[in-house]
Amino acid sequence: MKRFIFTFTIVVFCQFLYSQISNVIPSSNAIAQTSAGDSHNWSAFNNPAMLGYVENPEIGIGYENRYQLSELSTKTGQLALPTSLMNVGFSFSHFGYSLYHEMLLGVGFARNFSDRFAMGMQFDYYTAFFTASNSYHGAFIPQVGLSVRLSSGFSLGFHSFNPFQVNIKTELITKRIPSIFSLGTECFLSPEIVWRTQVDKEMSSNYRFASGFEYQMLQNLKLKLGVYGSDYLVPCLGFGFKTGAFLVDLNCEQHPLLGLNTMAGIKYRFGK
Amino acid sequence: MKRLSIYLFFLLVCSCPTRAQDVVSTTEQLIADIFEQYTAESEEAIDYDSFFEDLLFCAQNPINLNQATREQLEKLPFLSDIQVENILSYVYQFGPMQTIYELQLVEGLDMTDIRRMLPFVVVGEVGNVNKKIYWNDLMKYGKNELYFRLDKGLETKEGYRFLPEEDQNSTFENSKNYLGNDFYNSLRYRFHYKDRIQFGVTAEKDAGEQFWGTTHKGYDFYSFHAQLNNFGKFKTIVVGDFRVNFGQGLVLHSEFGMGKSSYVLNVTPRSSGLKKFSSTDESNFFRGGGATVRLGKLNLTGFYSNKMIDGDTVNGMFQTVLKTGYHRTLDELSKKHTVNQQIIGGNATYTNMNLQVGITAVHTMLDNRLIPDKSVYNYFYFSGKKQTTAGISYRYRWKKLNVFGETAMTSNGSMATLNGCYFSPISQMSLVVLQRHYSPEYDTFYASSFSETSRINNESGLYLGAEVRPFRKWKFAAYADSYRFPWPKYGIDAPSVGKDYLLQADFAAKRNVAMYWRFKFEEKQTNLSNSSSVMPVIVPLKKVSARYQLTYSYGNFSFKNVLDGNLVRKADSIWTYGVIASQDVSYVFHSFPLKIDFRYQFFDAVNYENRLYSYEKDVLYAFSIPMYYGLGSRYYLNLQYDLNKNLSLWFKIAQTVYADDRESLSSGNETISGNRKTDVRLMLKWEF
Repeated sequence: MKRFIFTFTIVVFCQFLYSQISNVIPSSNAIAQTSAGDSHNWSAFNNPAMLGYVENPEIGIGYENRYQLSELSTKTGQLALPTSLMNVGFSFSHFGYSLYHEMLLGVGFARNFSDRFAMGMQFDYYTAFFTASNSYHGAFIPQVGLSVRLSSGFSLGFHSFNPFQVNIKTELITKRIPSIFSLGTECFLSPEIVWRTQVDKEMSSNYRFASGFEYQMLQNLKLKLGVYGSDYLVPCLGFGFKTGAFLVDLNCEQHPLLGLNTMAGIKYRFGK
Repeated sequence: MKRLSIYLFFLLVCSCPTRAQDVVSTTEQLIADIFEQYTAESEEAIDYDSFFEDLLFCAQNPINLNQATREQLEKLPFLSDIQVENILSYVYQFGPMQTIYELQLVEGLDMTDIRRMLPFVVVGEVGNVNKKIYWNDLMKYGKNELYFRLDKGLETKEGYRFLPEEDQNSTFENSKNYLGNDFYNSLRYRFHYKDRIQFGVTAEKDAGEQFWGTTHKGYDFYSFHAQLNNFGKFKTIVVGDFRVNFGQGLVLHSEFGMGKSSYVLNVTPRSSGLKKFSSTDESNFFRGGGATVRLGKLNLTGFYSNKMIDGDTVNGMFQTVLKTGYHRTLDELSKKHTVNQQIIGGNATYTNMNLQVGITAVHTMLDNRLIPDKSVYNYFYFSGKKQTTAGISYRYRWKKLNVFGETAMTSNGSMATLNGCYFSPISQMSLVVLQRHYSPEYDTFYASSFSETSRINNESGLYLGAEVRPFRKWKFAAYADSYRFPWPKYGIDAPSVGKDYLLQADFAAKRNVAMYWRFKFEEKQTNLSNSSSVMPVIVPLKKVSARYQLTYSYGNFSFKNVLDGNLVRKADSIWTYGVIASQDVSYVFHSFPLKIDFRYQFFDAVNYENRLYSYEKDVLYAFSIPMYYGLGSRYYLNLQYDLNKNLSLWFKIAQTVYADDRESLSSGNETISGNRKTDVRLMLKWEF
């Protein structure tokens, strides 16, 4: 019980401090979570338009550990299947542990229109375990996304998670599901350096401003640096490795109050 | 040969991908875009019906540039007075245009303006405008249109909730509720034969008004109009409901007026004379008849109107003219058509090559006495049963200067004057300066002109506007306006001053990408709330606004992103903010007669002073500029489907969701429980 109370307190506390009340939404591979404009990576439950740019089938898993507490970890799985009509993506996310957990299951559809813009839509089912009623409650949530390449080196991204502000209402409590509006840009300063910016607004949280650079140091190694600010300024550092068809991403964020947030993801890209 | 080379050159230029307005794919979108530019800085309710109908009529009956009059060109609100003058002057100097692309040779018109003009103008032979009309032509070429619109809010409002009869308060409480159902419905029929004959009928019922019951039977509002143009000496004849616009609007201007907007050069209203009224606006029109006779260079107009208006009449007196047109409750119904208003007026306008002078007079008679509930701010408002207003307007072109103005006086001796000058030293630059002085005692029924507020009285000011096109693809527009109110205004209990500045930069990056940045600074004075002082205390209210809009299109898709924000500071308090961000996606099916518009919008405006307005697409003849205040999001889906060549269907569903923990929306009978508001609209158009 102590363990439960402790964990529950931490979760609630984090929801106040963390920039978005989006524990169940896994962080993206993009540095400083600038995924709204990241046209080269599709991350589960992030901008679904980026699924449209996926050219080969890919499968990936991710693990995020918030503030070195296993109870605040998020596990992710994703699968992208390109087809001639549109690309289809499946994603899954699990946050929490046995006594408190939230899950997201999604299927997304996206299409790349002549490499000029991509649009995507994802339908998610969110479910959480409510100890008060000792049962699961869930809701369907849509996601919409758009990415537009205004020029060869500059693109704009828009993403909305839960645009209709769907919540879960039970007899005892109302569980707010985050509703996020994101606008992001991606600018290639050179073929090796990409600069991304993003503004997020979760309806009941402060604005989050993020910016990050990704530098392709070597053919197989990428260095990522970024920062985002909401209530606190959070510096971010990351690396990307590529070995054959495998892509590995490691990101970490240093929250000044809560501590270190680490993310790791591995993706396998199938050949054509 | 030289002229031919120029045509060919400009033909190529015209077909090159250069300008922003290529993004606009249909005439309807273009009209909506123009209207949005006008209303972006305006908080007034502008009659979109008339605006849209006039421009759509121009698109159906394009203006022949080779015999266009100033009045006809002035129907295109995006053209400045200088541009109108230049087009007329070009045709006068060089003779009829051979091709539409010759517009490129007209000074002061760039590709943006020309692309905007294209749907509304043609280059044709000079013919007889008074050509005889035969019955067979009327039957064969006349166009009939029928419009049916239905609106409904999905959430039940408080005004439709009735207490059961067993409840002891039911009689009293239920009597305050709406008498009718929650459907809005309008029906319009239009007929037109070219631009010579137009007539139509409009019927409307607002949500909450009873359609068929004990208190009312049929639609709440009916309107009939007929207009004949160019019949012998008669330039215009109107019967039924009509509007009248003369001079600069200080005496008579009963429709959409120009003012401060990003069209910085278009500052004064257009003098369109007599014009049919076909809108669903239930107050701002005349009912009767009128005619304009052409006597060489002199146009003489006379009209008479007799209609019932709404007022809170008690014992032969009323305090306010009610203009909402709502008759939903017993209380509202008791104020319906309680006052008879008769208006008789006329205008004489003399026009020659460079000079136009007009005299306008109007006399208004009420059968009940208007006595406003006197407060300090409305101390000088009109009271009584009769009022006469007269004015002289002028316009004179001398080389590159174009001076204009109007001075008017009411029967109580009060005066209003507006004078200005357009100047275009080089084709890339146009300037306007405008001075106005409206005395506090000047208050007349149908005046509408350049003003900080919607009422033409109690204001003096100076406005400077400039439009510069220094580089290809770039346009800069700016204005500065400084004004003072010598007498207290509503919400300002002492004489006050104000100023505002606007700068807009338009950039058309590519054929399919356009953007603009707009910055605005306003400073005015307002009452200090919660002041314990006996004497009025007014404090400065500062507002800084910025807007970025990006429009781009690819194939059948078009997109729009808007970021709009403001910072407001009252007296020494902290700055508060308001933000709106939106994403629009539109798609036009080519193989299927369907158009889709979708928008998702997020808004966050801390205080009422930070409120934001945002235009959104709607069904035909409807226009929404909702106000956003609080925290939340709004999204809509708009569909247009052409069922066949003659029948079109529009459908819109929009929802606003507030995220700031409010448990109810709106107030009084309009109260909705919860934090969501959903509206559905349906429109059918049948052409035959």
